Amino acid sequence: MNGGRVGDSPRRVGGHGRVTGAQQYVADIHLPDELHVELVTLDCARARIVSIDASDALAVPGVQLVMTPDDLPEPMPRFGPQFRDRPILAVGETKFHGDPVAAVAAETKDAAEEGARRVRVDYEELPAVFTIGGALAPDAPLVQDPSLRPGDPLAGSNVLREHRYGWGDVDAAEADLVVENSYVFPMVTHFAIEPHAFIAAPDEEGLTIWSSIQHPYWLQRVIAELVELPLARVRVVAPDPGGAFGGKQHAKYEPLVAFMALRAGRPVRLVLSLEQTFQAVRRNSAEIRVRTGFRSDGAVTFREIHADYLLGAYADISDRVVGKGAYPGNGPYRVPASRIVARSILSHTTPSTAFRGFGAPQVNWAVESNLDEGARALGLDGLEIRRRNIAARGDRFLPYDTPADGDWQQTLDRAAELVGWDRPLPDGHGRGIALGIKLGPTTGLSHATVRFLGDGSVLVLAGTSDMGQGARTVFAQVASEELGVPLGRITVVSGDTHIVPYDQQTSASRSSVLMGNAILDACRDLHEQLREMAARADGLDPARVSVERGVARLPDREVPLVEVLKVGLGKLGGELIGNGVVRKEAEPDHPLGGTAAFYELNCTAIEATVDEGTGEVVLVRHATVSDVGKALNPMQVRMQDEGAAIMGLGHTLMEHYIYDENGRLRNLGAIDYRIPTSKDLPLEMVSEIVENEDGPGPYGAKGMSEGALLCVAPAVAAAVQQATGVTIRDLPLTPQRVWEALEERRRSREPEVVS
Amino acid sequence: MRSFDYRRPTSLQEAVALLAEHGPAAQVLAGGTDLVIGLRDRTVDPDVVVDLKWIPDLWPGIAERDGWLAISAGTTMSQISADPAVRRHFPALIEAADVVGSVQIRNRATLAGNICNASPAADTAPPLLVFGARVVAVGPDGRRTIPIDEFFVRSRVTTLQRGELVAAVELPVPGEPIGAAYLRLTRRRGTDLASITMCAAVERSGVARLAYGSVGPRPLLFTDESGVLADPSASDGAREAILERMLEPARPSPRSVRASPEYRLAMLRVLARRALAAAIQRLGGGA
Amino acid sequence: MPDRLTVELTVNGAPRRVEVAVHHTLLDVLRDQVGLTGTKECCVVGECGACTVIVDGLPVNSCLMLAVEADGHEVRTVEGLARVGQLNELQQAFLDRGATQCGFCIPGQLMAAQALLEKNPDPTVAEIHEALAGNLCRCAGYEQITEAVLTAAEAMRR
Repeated sequence: MNGGRVGDSPRRVGGHGRVTGAQQYVADIHLPDELHVELVTLDCARARIVSIDASDALAVPGVQLVMTPDDLPEPMPRFGPQFRDRPILAVGETKFHGDPVAAVAAETKDAAEEGARRVRVDYEELPAVFTIGGALAPDAPLVQDPSLRPGDPLAGSNVLREHRYGWGDVDAAEADLVVENSYVFPMVTHFAIEPHAFIAAPDEEGLTIWSSIQHPYWLQRVIAELVELPLARVRVVAPDPGGAFGGKQHAKYEPLVAFMALRAGRPVRLVLSLEQTFQAVRRNSAEIRVRTGFRSDGAVTFREIHADYLLGAYADISDRVVGKGAYPGNGPYRVPASRIVARSILSHTTPSTAFRGFGAPQVNWAVESNLDEGARALGLDGLEIRRRNIAARGDRFLPYDTPADGDWQQTLDRAAELVGWDRPLPDGHGRGIALGIKLGPTTGLSHATVRFLGDGSVLVLAGTSDMGQGARTVFAQVASEELGVPLGRITVVSGDTHIVPYDQQTSASRSSVLMGNAILDACRDLHEQLREMAARADGLDPARVSVERGVARLPDREVPLVEVLKVGLGKLGGELIGNGVVRKEAEPDHPLGGTAAFYELNCTAIEATVDEGTGEVVLVRHATVSDVGKALNPMQVRMQDEGAAIMGLGHTLMEHYIYDENGRLRNLGAIDYRIPTSKDLPLEMVSEIVENEDGPGPYGAKGMSEGALLCVAPAVAAAVQQATGVTIRDLPLTPQRVWEALEERRRSREPEVVS
Repeated sequence: MRSFDYRRPTSLQEAVALLAEHGPAAQVLAGGTDLVIGLRDRTVDPDVVVDLKWIPDLWPGIAERDGWLAISAGTTMSQISADPAVRRHFPALIEAADVVGSVQIRNRATLAGNICNASPAADTAPPLLVFGARVVAVGPDGRRTIPIDEFFVRSRVTTLQRGELVAAVELPVPGEPIGAAYLRLTRRRGTDLASITMCAAVERSGVARLAYGSVGPRPLLFTDESGVLADPSASDGAREAILERMLEPARPSPRSVRASPEYRLAMLRVLARRALAAAIQRLGGGA
Repeated sequence: MPDRLTVELTVNGAPRRVEVAVHHTLLDVLRDQVGLTGTKECCVVGECGACTVIVDGLPVNSCLMLAVEADGHEVRTVEGLARVGQLNELQQAFLDRGATQCGFCIPGQLMAAQALLEKNPDPTVAEIHEALAGNLCRCAGYEQITEAVLTAAEAMRR
């Protein structure tokens, strides 16, 4: 078995519990005297709530509490990471299919369910908007009351915000060819296998919340403000989420259970059904118009991007998704002039939120597809046009941002090689290649504490949520590397805001870089203490002692740090405590409020063939290459890259919400919302990484785990185009959609037959 | 899920009496893979659930009797798939049984349950139709057999009468070789409900049968005795004309989230041609 | 009107008598009454496989089986795979090959794979994909899960 140092692939910390069933997710935790909560929802999207009658529900044996807006403070408390637009319960009207109007707490799940069925809600269905066109229509009903956005000139429309970026003179740019088209990205949902779960328990001091949440400290702040308790009296316990992918970043129903627990004076638990998670989180859908100018040699001379993203009824973090996703919309290329307009548009649909890729997969689908259309018109292939435009290390390809931080050409070339770009193609096959970048975090704050205990074992306190990416494993490896302690003697503690110091959030592939560096910083703090300890033991001037990677170097010998510690602590024992912190401050003048800590760059190359009869796309080979700087744990890098690639196949080939004309989600749940299974994999998948140790994280690491999702759709569509000659600009490429495109091609080729 | 009265009859008579007494308020439980979903979302809301698994006569079993292969009501898809006699005589039924849900589903779901649920998209219906299966029903008036083509009405509705249950499904063991193939259309390669089900069978005599589903309230069966469909050397035009007549009655729902009517109708034709070609090839290669 | 029933079943080798509500599933009873929370709940329509357990040697979705149907049967859950604290070959291979990410689907994946290997000690990749097609993994560790099953099969054959 591999060792546990940086660059090795030790077994996952927490892996044992994951294969024995001992791992406790929120739903596995039970508290004495707990009540079960069920939500009361309406079978439509937008409705005026006329009255709520709880008397029948309260008559159900076991029902203890029916929470309605009348039981909450006036005015209704609201929350949200960007806009305080989300009420604890729908007030006045529901905004989307699944928006709860009341909630029932009962002694058993059965009683809560029965109680929820018996809450009588009189309501009147109202006109609503579910599409970009509908939301922008002049007579469209407003999703949010303008009073929620005082002073906002857009408050009278469904446009929540408009983001404008640009450089160069687009209108003056010359081009031999201009290609303009629109591209559609569907509504898709996270479908974490663990449905969201929340528990709230009051105690004599305050409140404890258990949540499958990515950002426990942010949640702590939200709850503290809502229930008016000091942070020190709100404890958030965040067991490892069973998959999150961005969908568990921000508060959802934690505020509701908090108010219910305080009212009931007992612990309450709410475990969502999978259907309810479909009504809780999704990715922004988008319609993106791209207009690109090309010189005849393939060089891009300008690009305009107009990206309309459709948000749900409450903004959550999804306007930030729009801004941050669209800003690097030109990808990892030198584009001399560009104009980007991105709009966040509200609708009466499931609230959208962060989702792996954070707005970049949508715009990358559009821009990479548009680039391929240009290449075809110019007689260039997909690899050639990318080689011609890709940014070199140090290029200020995003004028206000971090220069290109990698040798990106290597990634492009390697993906092309892995897919066999230059090999002859079998009949009916096609190849496609796509590049993508995503910005790392623009701000951040991570604290870490590393406790070097008396026996030479180590406790690392790091507030990152380990939601499958394996954060604790990597952190343990960093501590092992720096302190010279084997993994078996290191424990990483996370998920408890009363114990573990502050971490801003687990998102944007930041944790290996920001928290990794904070742990490194804490270890360096220990190094300093150990240096003095070693010097003191030998009666030396500390300047004559140096410490690095597990050892103290004295003038005459090297001593393992564990030995330095044991000798230095002496008979009284105790421990050394190292503290580390990493801050990435906001930059108020930057369009995004901060430059990218790093770029996640991926290149995906696909060989595909299409069943011309049915339209089914078969992926013959899927090569994905990511520039990760340094793989701290190569096995974990591979599983995340391949996992992201397969997740990308979902929105590329099969995933999409289907709403009816009244805004009811018709494919609610696992039967008619399809995600990839073990039988939907490419016939062959290869993943590789580029490592130049040029990232800002520990040992040259960059963040990773989202990149491999960015390029799947454009690479697949390009392969389908080459295989069949049809260009498809709407996702997903379901068999039906591909067949429809093939039919259109057949009709246009065949002369009209008059019979 | 709301509670109900759970009963475990230990004989057919006892089960029939319960079903006769409660009529539509009773639901039969065999594998449960459809029923439990219905109970949970309350599309099925019985007062009484009658579990058939305590009735020895219905326990899993596949046996040949008087030229018929009888599959008892308790037999699961996995058991059908593993049965040598089914594999020898009715491989297209195995092709269908093997794509019902996942392994986990197939270990519980029964053939009898699949046809009693009577989904228009039921995978096993088209092969049962082309093979000329019959349903053995037991009820208050005793035992009767129903040709499978007279069994389906629409989703969740069959020609079973009050008090009747399916005791077995029987398939006639062919004297002459039959070439048959089952195909389906899905949205992904992994487990999925079919948007089209299609089974073709051809005999040496030239008789060809086509059965398909998911394009109307119930699966449909058509027979061609002209010999054209079974003849690999028949002209495309002649074959297409017959296929067109067989496929004309298809009326796919415009409300489905799984596929548009246009796509379904087109795929019906693609799958019919492919299934027929496979059936012909198997007849040639298999005999 | 018996809406509760006492059932006798074997769970991971130990006989159990449990009084259950007749409308509760085996999944409900395992998690809420027997206290074995390793078996997970997600889709409750037999699509995701997170609730997979082995009943009489066969993998089934415990969300689609009423607890009363388990009366007289032998049920195995993920908690029963390890022997006296020692991981079995499959669990070990899942760890070694990096098949677990968030871990939520893993108990179901393990039970489906365990049932496969008991029936077919030398499966092909296609057979593994088929046997696990009813177990969704949204982290999409399918490549690593398949490798782990192959590794475990080899270890079990030795």
